[in-house]
Amino acid sequence: MKKIALTTLFLSLLILLPDKVLAQNEALFISAAGTPSAPRVPMVWNKYYTNAGITDFCRKLEKAFPGLVSLSSAGKSYQGRDIYVLTISDKKSGNPDHKPGFWIDGNIHSIELQGSEMAMYTAWYLCEMFDQNDFINQLLKDKTFYIAPSINPDGRDYFANIGVPPRSGLIPFDNDRDGLFDEDGPDDLNGDKNISQMRRRNPDGAYKADPKDPRRMIRVEPGEKGEYDLLGMEGIDNDGDGQINEDGPGGYDGNRDWGFNWEPNYVQSGAHKYPFSQPENRAVRDFVSSHRNITAAQSFHNTGGMILRGPSIQNGGAEAYSRSDDAAIEAIGKKGEKILPGYSLLTIWKDLYSVYGGEIDWFHGAMGCFVYSNELWNSYMMFYDRENTDSYEFDKLLLFEDGFIPWQKVNHPVYGEVEVGGFSKMFGRLHPGFMLETDAHRNAAFCLYNAYETPKLEISNLKVTKTEGGLREITASITNTRMIPTHSASNLKFKIDPPVYAFLDGGTVVAGMIVENADLNITSEQKRNPQRIEIPNIAGYQKVDVKWIVKGGSKYTVRVESVKGGRASAQIE
Amino acid sequence: MNVFLRFSILALMCCFLSVSTGAQGRYGDHRVMTRTVEALAKEYPSLCSVKPLGKSAGGKELVVITIGTGDRDNKPGIAVLGGIEGSHVLGRELAAGFAGYLLKNSGSPEIQNLLGKITFYVIPDVSPDASGQFFSDLKYERNVNDTPVDDDRDFVTNEDPLEDLNNDGLITLMRVSDPAGKYMKSPDDERIMVEADFSKGETGSYLVFPEGIDNDGDGLFNEDGPGGVNFNRNLTYNYEAFGAGAGAHPVSEPESIAVLDFLFDHFNIYATMAFGPQDNLSQPAKPAGGRQAAAQPAEQGYIPGGQGQFQFPGAFPMQGPPPGPQSMRMMTGQARKITSVLSQDETIIKLVSEKYRNITGVNGSPAATLPPGNFMEWSYYHYGRYSFSTPAWWFPAEPGKNPGVAFLKFAEENNMENVFVPWTEIKHPGFPGKKVEVGGIKPFVTINPPEDRLQDLIEKNSRFIVEMAAMHPELQFLDMKVENQGENIFRISLKVHNKGIFATCAAAGERNVFTRLMRISVETNGKQKFLSGQKVQTIKRLEGGESAEYSWLIMGKGTVKITAGAVNTGIITTTAELK
Repeated sequence: MKKIALTTLFLSLLILLPDKVLAQNEALFISAAGTPSAPRVPMVWNKYYTNAGITDFCRKLEKAFPGLVSLSSAGKSYQGRDIYVLTISDKKSGNPDHKPGFWIDGNIHSIELQGSEMAMYTAWYLCEMFDQNDFINQLLKDKTFYIAPSINPDGRDYFANIGVPPRSGLIPFDNDRDGLFDEDGPDDLNGDKNISQMRRRNPDGAYKADPKDPRRMIRVEPGEKGEYDLLGMEGIDNDGDGQINEDGPGGYDGNRDWGFNWEPNYVQSGAHKYPFSQPENRAVRDFVSSHRNITAAQSFHNTGGMILRGPSIQNGGAEAYSRSDDAAIEAIGKKGEKILPGYSLLTIWKDLYSVYGGEIDWFHGAMGCFVYSNELWNSYMMFYDRENTDSYEFDKLLLFEDGFIPWQKVNHPVYGEVEVGGFSKMFGRLHPGFMLETDAHRNAAFCLYNAYETPKLEISNLKVTKTEGGLREITASITNTRMIPTHSASNLKFKIDPPVYAFLDGGTVVAGMIVENADLNITSEQKRNPQRIEIPNIAGYQKVDVKWIVKGGSKYTVRVESVKGGRASAQIE
Repeated sequence: MNVFLRFSILALMCCFLSVSTGAQGRYGDHRVMTRTVEALAKEYPSLCSVKPLGKSAGGKELVVITIGTGDRDNKPGIAVLGGIEGSHVLGRELAAGFAGYLLKNSGSPEIQNLLGKITFYVIPDVSPDASGQFFSDLKYERNVNDTPVDDDRDFVTNEDPLEDLNNDGLITLMRVSDPAGKYMKSPDDERIMVEADFSKGETGSYLVFPEGIDNDGDGLFNEDGPGGVNFNRNLTYNYEAFGAGAGAHPVSEPESIAVLDFLFDHFNIYATMAFGPQDNLSQPAKPAGGRQAAAQPAEQGYIPGGQGQFQFPGAFPMQGPPPGPQSMRMMTGQARKITSVLSQDETIIKLVSEKYRNITGVNGSPAATLPPGNFMEWSYYHYGRYSFSTPAWWFPAEPGKNPGVAFLKFAEENNMENVFVPWTEIKHPGFPGKKVEVGGIKPFVTINPPEDRLQDLIEKNSRFIVEMAAMHPELQFLDMKVENQGENIFRISLKVHNKGIFATCAAAGERNVFTRLMRISVETNGKQKFLSGQKVQTIKRLEGGESAEYSWLIMGKGTVKITAGAVNTGIITTTAELK
């Protein structure tokens, strides 16, 4: 291990100038367990990255790890920003697009920033640990990660520069149906790049300051005198229609836009015109549709501490989920609960609410992937306690009130003198800096576990037997050594991907068959093209036996190709 | 004005319109259609404009003809569409013919008046790739575009097309003498092949396939031809994932995207009129409370207007779950989904369908089909507009009779010649030693009338659209009053009245974010002050003949301007002098 680390160090010296500095600093550190000891791309994981920061990271990672990383753009956002995808795999060990793929995206909802950091951390960790850890080495030999840190870059920049954005991207949308688009959004009245709350002094108001922490507004008891009205989000009536903040920027939902079980806006609030109305999602669709090796996927949201699985509507998965798929999804999710303390595995329609046209349903239903959506950060994580989940106390004791904007007087054109304040946009749904790396690592570990369980095909028991008439019988077993099948139930039913193909090269194939029972010689013969036996599915931990009858040849190669299960081959003389 | 009185006047005006209008009385291909449309634009530059909407998968331009006067996109609009399914080439002629009819009659006071109030958006052909097959050297009923689709999901694309084995330029049927065959000659008409009914003691002696060979040797005939995706299966309502001709996901195709983007961007459109296989005009609207069964099961023998590819029992296994009321889509309705016509809208559809029958004099109804992802239902349920559709021409189905037999009888009675290819023996490489014959009803003739019927159909259907359009929603202010309350205070009160027959929007569109809400706003001179009443407020949906009352208390003399409506209802203004 030490030798490898030294070699890495030497290589990085050659590749990158800044690493010279690092190298000099090497003596200053003792490597912690499970952490890159000398990262080629030094990163800080206690803050959030802008689009510029994400782009910079992606480029640096590609440059530092040319043998692992390829950076591409899946397409452009509405405002013309690139949707970057990092393809990470050990390129030496085979074409990345032929290995089982794992997709990760973050930030589909613009306010849900930290999905990007989770995705970036995963990319960074994989690269920096490569050659330092055997598990990661093997994982990148076997698998390919496709990581899109932000699939809503417009919303992200809006957050960074202006304030609290909508959930959506920034296609103009007429929420109040008056013919004007985005004409009355929230306004940053005190110029702090935050959209916080408004309150107004009123002796008849329904709220008062909490005596335990006067920053907090609490409802008054019946008969008790109040102090304040709460007036909602910071903003004015920009269009003079008697309503405040009723038509802000964007205002649809990127996660109600996917082409599976889609319903229109009046059924499913947030839907746009039709599936893939949004260029950001179209970009992801195009990338994923043209990388059918993507077998499993992870989408990052906030908040609530949930590992969400489909189906997202009642009965919506009846035709798409089988019992064995379900068992794999549950098993991986349950392992996730262990990896992510405070997170619970939930089924969307049953435990949360119905979602039509959600991203993970498209991944599962249309693309045949095994997919989760994690709702990052929850109140448990503040004190590692399900009971005490007081944000104000956490902010006071651990953030020293940095997460709160003190109430500040502002003149409001409609309400008169109001006060603007409350939790800042950086606290409530987003991890505080010091907790970001911890959760990024745990979520990365969950992704790695899920990716590990994507199929791995191995050929064994390869045998040649001479039979009558100078023919030879060649038998082999093809085993999927992991939990996820090569084909999900919907993949099988709707033939989303080709079957697993087992080829025999060498000699002339006279007949080919799947052996159902070797002892009783029960086989199913494939009449057409027997040289390429079609195996509909190899379930998790299952084995399929194949047999060819061959004329001539002396050296035989069995090749297995599966779109989602990867490739394998074995030779025999 | 009394509704009936108005109808009578319209009917009277109708008599004065010139009779000769419309197209050339021939089915025209994409080039002819483009030329016709461009010629109209040139001849009537002040009334109409032609704009490209985008290209089909096969690179053919989709166009929209916008017809109207004044600020076209800011008054109520009706979209008229043809080519809903490519094999129904009649629809294209009717849509384009309507544009011609309207423009050629634009001199009449009735139409002049209508064009001032309503804008018509005519998209003559939404399926140009598919309709092109009618004009090509190899003719078969095709409803799918040129997007390469692996129809049989064997991971090879377009590898098993139809073949013209008897070299007549037409794809008909192929029958193979085979004791194991399930088909026999119909006792009612020997030319038609029907499935033998075992319960009647019948046995079959023929295999029946669409004309062609099994190119890929998979035992199926012609199961993966050129293309493609059917516009009329690719829309979001009741979409069938992985269904035949459905596309990779709803609205996946350039044609669907172009048409829907145009419709969604035109908030002023309040109704759509489609010429396509779906019908809600030949009979009163179905009672509310559930949709009919989805796509009809494929009948034996000939299938008029099939799924874009021939479908024969045993010839092409259907992928995906069979459509029907029990499919999982239906069980996920939940409270918010609208899955049957709302009663308020039913009243209007009934009225409109009566008008259709009166004007066109149609008899009976075409076979009712509501396939998944179709345009007519999309327009109502997901676009939230009044949606009308008719194939405009059909042969009467006889209950219990094979449609092929019924058609041949109808053709004979109506002197339709040349509709059948007599069975003739051919050599077929796939059936050595077996007698194979090619023949059957010619493609297109069961769903498209002979060309000599075109002119009449265009006139009647255009006439219908004109009269349907005259029922448009229209706002007016009624009973406006300004009361001087003294102390420089004035009360303004008025009613906003919908004097049209149609409501201000379809009830199905009321909660649809893509339907504009009407607003009423009062603009003061800046010195005046509202004591009561809002400067801007929304107006609830108004049925035909319904009103909403408003009043404001304003302090200060001067003129105020009141504006009411939305682009889909028309916007009206008035002023009040406070003095």
